[in-house]
Amino acid sequence: MTADQSAPQTSPGRVLLIEDEPNIATAIAFILQRDGWRVSTHSDGTTALEAVDRHAPDVVVLDVMLPGKSGFDILGAIRDGERSALPVLMLTAKGQTKDRERAEALGVSRFMTKPFSNRDLLDAVRELAGAPDGTG
Amino acid sequence: MPRSMPTGSRIRDRRLELAIKQGALAAKVGISPSYLNLIEHNRRPIGGSLLIRLAEALGVDRAALSEDGDSGLVSAVQAAGAARGLGPDSLAQAADLARRLPDWARVIQAQAQALAAQARTIEAMSDRLAHDPSLAEAMHELLSTVSVVRSTASILAQTPEIDPNWLARFHANLDEDSRRLAEGAEAVVGLFDRKATAGDGNLLPSEGVARFLEAQDDLAGALEGPSGGAAVPDLVAGIADPATRTLAAEVLTRDAADAARLPRPLVEMARTPDDLIDAAQGDMALVLRRMGLAVPGRGLVICDAAGAMIRRKPVAGFPLPVVGAGCPLWPVYAAFRQPGRALAARIETPDGAGWQVHAVAASVTPPKFGTEPVLQSTMLLTRADTPGRAEPVGPGCRTCPRADCAARREPSVLSEPVAPGAAALLPARP
Repeated sequence: MTADQSAPQTSPGRVLLIEDEPNIATAIAFILQRDGWRVSTHSDGTTALEAVDRHAPDVVVLDVMLPGKSGFDILGAIRDGERSALPVLMLTAKGQTKDRERAEALGVSRFMTKPFSNRDLLDAVRELAGAPDGTG
Repeated sequence: MPRSMPTGSRIRDRRLELAIKQGALAAKVGISPSYLNLIEHNRRPIGGSLLIRLAEALGVDRAALSEDGDSGLVSAVQAAGAARGLGPDSLAQAADLARRLPDWARVIQAQAQALAAQARTIEAMSDRLAHDPSLAEAMHELLSTVSVVRSTASILAQTPEIDPNWLARFHANLDEDSRRLAEGAEAVVGLFDRKATAGDGNLLPSEGVARFLEAQDDLAGALEGPSGGAAVPDLVAGIADPATRTLAAEVLTRDAADAARLPRPLVEMARTPDDLIDAAQGDMALVLRRMGLAVPGRGLVICDAAGAMIRRKPVAGFPLPVVGAGCPLWPVYAAFRQPGRALAARIETPDGAGWQVHAVAASVTPPKFGTEPVLQSTMLLTRADTPGRAEPVGPGCRTCPRADCAARREPSVLSEPVAPGAAALLPARP
């Protein structure tokens, strides 16, 4: 099932969505696909890095609370690996200052707290894709 | 009756006034005639439930017998006034207010206590919001579900033509997530509701235990005798919060064990802690605990090595801070410098009252080579019955008016200017 036939013919890029909550993953994937992005989803923290290597995304949308490995662990591993400049948008319902600071210390490109608007999410992904050095 | 007359003399005067024999009065309140004789000659401190029983037997109000009858009330009114910014001249009128309008002074005291309790509640709730794992998990679940509902609802509202399969899926998701949202909201409300109805739920367990111990009339009496420990479950049964109840049971079980080791009749007859050292087989901390808890009119403070007060029994005229540490000049802290050494000192509170203090720090863990002992320091407070040179101390920096104290760590609510000693302790400005 694809998002919609009205999606742009030329894709702006590939997004890897790492999110274990199926309904939020469905909604985000739909929003991005309608905007033309090719979206892959992954729900397990333990194998998330393999998914990054396999899908070679332009942007990663990463939840913090994941089974097996936290979003912080995955972000740290991405920054320490070969794809250290990959833009990462982190989503969390834990919007506390210390979580934001931890994510920033690990080199997150963008940090968004749930609940977010679909428009803000799209804008953030577009912005990150236009800044491949990951600094947003 | 002059305000400065000691409590024992007041009891004796009233008894003679009613022509009651000493033995008859002693029998009526359940103590020995010799002990009453010591009390009447001001050789034993008196307070708590025994003073109440004596006041009832003599047909007077407890305050009429107690030389400290209104000192606590005056301190409370002064603290309430200071918290609202009253100056020294106004604060000095607190004693006059308490004497002339005692009911209104008690209203002020009650209001100040209610405000302090609310402040503690807010602090406890804030702490829980930040650190309670069950609440954090429930809030995380709630926010995640809100996020799905919001995104899905936006898709449905803002996508003009949507594939029927997607439409059906989103409708199903919305139905499922709105149900989750309702359950999550109920879970969060339930968490708050449980904490609010738990009685002591807004207090830390240690605070709840302190409040419970202070509210008991004759707890020490219930724990006396070789089977005193058997009374503990009934005594703590009314405490709603399980953690507080468990902690209170541990404290009372220790008290009962102390009572079995050093019976109350021995403790009541002792004039100083030295009189009990042999009976306690050299356990000086036990002597101080027993004299502090079993004898009315004496105060007790027990601290751990971090300076936290883990046991406090206030005594009229020597206010102990409800939260935070006490005065750094109290011998209970000095005792940590040389564990095992029994300190005897005389101290003076800001109101000029003299106190005889005994303190000792001792290990609460069995000795073992290569292992640091876990220390606790115990301090017994007894009102001095004769004048003499004494070291000035306070009740704790927040409510201490001594402006020139080198040990001050924070400004007092009783005085505006920061003392010179405090300035040295504050971090330097960049």
